[in-house]
Amino acid sequence: MIGNPTALLLGSVLFLLLLLLARRGAAAREISSRSDVPLFDDEASLDPCPPEFVTRIFSSIDWDFVTCTKSRELQKLFRRERKLVALVWVHQTSRAIRRIMREHTEATRQSHDLHFATEIKLVAMYAELMLICGMLLLAIQSAGPQRVGGLAGYAQTLSQRLAQAQQDFKVVTTGRHFHRAGSA
Amino acid sequence: MTVTFKLVPVQAAYDDLLKRSLSKISCDLARLIYLGSTRDYNTGTYHHDGLAARFQPDAAGKALEIAHRQIFYQLSAYSLEQLVDQLQMYLECSHESPADILRLWQKLEPYRVAIPVEVNPAVARLFLSNIRLALAIWRFRQEQEQPPKHP
Repeated sequence: MIGNPTALLLGSVLFLLLLLLARRGAAAREISSRSDVPLFDDEASLDPCPPEFVTRIFSSIDWDFVTCTKSRELQKLFRRERKLVALVWVHQTSRAIRRIMREHTEATRQSHDLHFATEIKLVAMYAELMLICGMLLLAIQSAGPQRVGGLAGYAQTLSQRLAQAQQDFKVVTTGRHFHRAGSA
Repeated sequence: MTVTFKLVPVQAAYDDLLKRSLSKISCDLARLIYLGSTRDYNTGTYHHDGLAARFQPDAAGKALEIAHRQIFYQLSAYSLEQLVDQLQMYLECSHESPADILRLWQKLEPYRVAIPVEVNPAVARLFLSNIRLALAIWRFRQEQEQPPKHP
């Protein structure tokens, strides 16, 4: 039996997850219907977004510049345009994260000496990133990209760490594989 | 050895391109438009007769491709204010009427073809969005400068 507060908490978490899933689907539809640039299905050729552009997308400098014009039309256009760019970035980041984890899962299947702690750490990092991406989708659509620059920067850093961890894992397992092949 | 053999002509062609062609163009936006125009619409390969004559055609094509991508990222990193300045410079240096260019750019968005092929989609989207905004801001400024019409 679980108490009322626990049930309430579980219910809230479940509701939030369902909301995130629904918003993610809606955001993806919005991007594909309104974005000018195709979302590039060929993930392998995806050039990662340089960090300085993440800062630019979520920066308030351009918004301040547009505000100075005192034109409501321009402000409206800016909000719409920058929101879409931010959504494209979130979509792209979450795809890159999923691709990294897919590659990692493939690599772990062929590896014989996995480190439990490292695996747990990677899965936790992945879960955190996916949650942040979901939160970013909600926040961008409700508050605008300028309010979530810190969170976007954190997601960028964390996704780079995840990519690096997977790269390190690949290097180590490939090294061991060659070592075994050489010994045999 | 092979790598050096291949890289040196590309580097030399790139330096030559910067020195002879790109340095004579007034602003980065005009450089991007120029470099985009050297790319074949059907094949995506870059051609420049003068550069290909001085270097190997492959090296010339590669140098153009590198320069195109570099100028694209440089321009995409500009703030909106800097981009409006770039647009202003581009329009001032053009031999056509700025109002006509503005109308055409807003209608047909020809700057879309100036995006290099292999660039990050979010950066490409940021570039398109910023150009669209810069055009709207420039138009707004022009309208503000015009004296109000009396009936």
